[in-house]
Amino acid sequence: MKARILVVDDDEALAEMIGIVLRNDGFDPVFCADGGQALEVFRSSKPDLVLLDLMLPGIDGIEVCRQIRGESDVPIVMLTAKSDTSDVVRGLESGADDYVPKPFKPAELVARVRARLRPGDQKAPETLRIADVTIDVAGHVVSRNSERISLTPLEFDLLVALARKPWQVFTRELLLEQVWGYRHAADTRLVNVHVQRLRSKIERDPEAPEVVLTVRGVGYKAGS
Amino acid sequence: MVSATKQVPEPADGPPGTAPETAARLDRPETAGPADGQPEAAATEAAAPEGQAAPSSPRGQTPLFRARIWTRRARIVTARVARLVRTGASRILPATRYLLRAVHRRWRRSLQFRTVLTTLMLAIGSFAVVGAYLSNQIANNLFQERLAQAESETRYNVKQVQDTFDGAQVTDQSSVITLVYDTLNAVEGRGSVIQRRYVFEAMPEQTKPRNRWVESRASDQLTISVIPPELRKAVQDSGKDQFWASTEFPVGTEDRPGIAVGNKVTFNGTVYELYLIYDLNTAQKTLDEIQNVLLAGAAALALMIGAVAWYVTRNVVSPVSHAAVVSEKLAAGQLQERMVVKGEDEVARLGASFNHMAASLQEQITQLATLSQMQQRFVSDVSHELRTPLTTVRMAAEVLYDARDDFDPINKRSAELLYNQVERFQSLLADLLEISRFDAGVAMLDAEPTDIVQLVSHVIEGVAPVAAEYGSEVTLNAPAGSIIVEMDDRRIDRILRNLVLNALEHGEGRPVNISVAANDTAVAVAVRDHGIGMTAAEAARVFDRFWRADPARARTTGGSGLGLSIATEDTKLHNGWLQAWGEKGRGSNFRLTLPLRQGDTITRSPLQLEPADVGPAGAVRERTMLLLETAVTEARSAPSGPDATKEQP
Repeated sequence: MKARILVVDDDEALAEMIGIVLRNDGFDPVFCADGGQALEVFRSSKPDLVLLDLMLPGIDGIEVCRQIRGESDVPIVMLTAKSDTSDVVRGLESGADDYVPKPFKPAELVARVRARLRPGDQKAPETLRIADVTIDVAGHVVSRNSERISLTPLEFDLLVALARKPWQVFTRELLLEQVWGYRHAADTRLVNVHVQRLRSKIERDPEAPEVVLTVRGVGYKAGS
Repeated sequence: MVSATKQVPEPADGPPGTAPETAARLDRPETAGPADGQPEAAATEAAAPEGQAAPSSPRGQTPLFRARIWTRRARIVTARVARLVRTGASRILPATRYLLRAVHRRWRRSLQFRTVLTTLMLAIGSFAVVGAYLSNQIANNLFQERLAQAESETRYNVKQVQDTFDGAQVTDQSSVITLVYDTLNAVEGRGSVIQRRYVFEAMPEQTKPRNRWVESRASDQLTISVIPPELRKAVQDSGKDQFWASTEFPVGTEDRPGIAVGNKVTFNGTVYELYLIYDLNTAQKTLDEIQNVLLAGAAALALMIGAVAWYVTRNVVSPVSHAAVVSEKLAAGQLQERMVVKGEDEVARLGASFNHMAASLQEQITQLATLSQMQQRFVSDVSHELRTPLTTVRMAAEVLYDARDDFDPINKRSAELLYNQVERFQSLLADLLEISRFDAGVAMLDAEPTDIVQLVSHVIEGVAPVAAEYGSEVTLNAPAGSIIVEMDDRRIDRILRNLVLNALEHGEGRPVNISVAANDTAVAVAVRDHGIGMTAAEAARVFDRFWRADPARARTTGGSGLGLSIATEDTKLHNGWLQAWGEKGRGSNFRLTLPLRQGDTITRSPLQLEPADVGPAGAVRERTMLLLETAVTEARSAPSGPDATKEQP
């Protein structure tokens, strides 16, 4: 089955070009040129992934990202023309899983899309624990005291990666490779922002984390 | 210290002058006296040790006893000060030094303090001058008054004594002695207080000593020694004239200042010197009191003047210091700060023009800030507007490029050219936007503690394909396995990638050596190639925008010409140094030095800029470098630096 990808971009030429590339690689692209209609199109097309331009007429990309994230865990990849820290971080904080800075190469875009579409259903039954949090890997469920915690697939992958090797300290680069699928050094702010988002969901007190611990100057590790 | 002065011009005839005559004569020098003025009196005092009864101003005596008192006071004060200094020097000295330094600091920093202190000093100085003059005048007058009284009294008494003696019946010695003594005692005056003391002495070298029934006699315990020899000589040498001199005589245990007035009396053919001594103690006491009052008055006045000066300067200075405070706030960026303007005086004008200046400054700065914001907006907009179509073009070019094998040779080559030039255009645009971000001042440092050795390893891994293309080997010399540096890893990665790519491009296929070393405050990464190198002039320009060592040389890696400029800006953002060394035909060395912690200053780089494998003599001559920060002293000492790490061969 072809994965359906919603491309939200106001630049028709670019959208068409992205469509050509995606179709060429066996995806099924759906288009939307207006931020105001993005949520409607999202609901009707039920895509497996959203490619979202940050600068949109109508509602801007960050707001669209927040709306989609409000009702779905579907992976969101931003297309950014700005590599300024604030914009990228704002986009990631509003719920995007990853971003591709313009101008990108077709291969880069496809690699990011594929990485986010990695099927998670082939995982063997496995139950992991960090602190007082239980992770059912196959069932894709995270719970504390039998209370379910809702995580996006990316956050889930991040938590599982840490939980599988609780003795290991993960550098940001290692996490980028394992969770995001980057083969070369990428923007470590991806890790920082998503660790913050993950903490805000699973920690009792995000200011004093017990599940995902920071190892200063190195990276992160699972709590005991 | 005594000068006897001849009282009056001596008349040629022998007989003693009558009382009215004497009084008249007395008056003359008195009235003539003041015209002589003060300086002459001082001169008399200075000349006094010569001791001759030279005729001069009759008021020479006045400063004498006062000077004596002052000398005594000064001696006491000196002794006290000396004792204080001796006992407490070690303890007081640091405190004094601290106090002096504090006063000096106040003096430099406070206009008000300086003005008040200066006013006080000047006031005290003026009071000292005026006070000295006044007390001198008063002392003089007191003395003159007493002197006039003493002279007239003496004349009268001497006449009395002489009359008594002249009319005496000389019978036997004892009655004569009684007569003389009674006469002399009468001179002392009646009442419990002695009005004048006398010293009665037979003139030496008398022809008829056997007729001298009365030798000498004096009041109290006085002896002839209290009479200054100059006075005696003057009295002895003259005829019947009256002379005077200042003296000191003992009463009880103390020495009192006095005036001795001398004349001759004859008794029974024997000539005697008769000196009458008048006590100046009461005059001295009055003088002392007056001086005390003057001193107290001066002190009170000085304090009042100080207070007035403080008040007045406060009124003048407080607007000025207000202005200083306001301008400091303005300088600190609080552009809305203004001075309070009251009235229409000079201070108000200052305030008004200051406010005017501040307003125009604020306007200009706001305008600049708006311009800067517009510039930033523009850069940001251009970034977006250019990148979106460029993305489309790039993707299209890549699709064509990927399918080029299906094209005929012309179209295939076109697709390749399109693809390569779009890539180049893209990197040029990226660099331009990066530079304009630095120019707009919006580049922010996102520093975190990171291992720089690991980062260098990543860079080497990243450039491995390029290195293989050039056939160069990239080696790493990092004795310390890990060095944690507070840095923005994206920017440092960009700098190092740029340096290594440059080294590969100009390395002629020879090895490129990378060294990493740290000291207490800084870490250095040196990238050394052994390729074509560069001259001094080239090394000086290597960080300039769009500069090329050799315009004719093909740019194979497709650099934009902005790489090293961006690296420079990135380094500046870290407060680091980026320096280049080169020698034609012997390669070049680029050294990046960063502070270990942001906010630290680099004192010296852990690595030397000039490679150790280059001969020192030639190297010094050919050595070239560019200093980005104020690293002149460090760079000069770098070649012989003790902590310089020797590079790999």
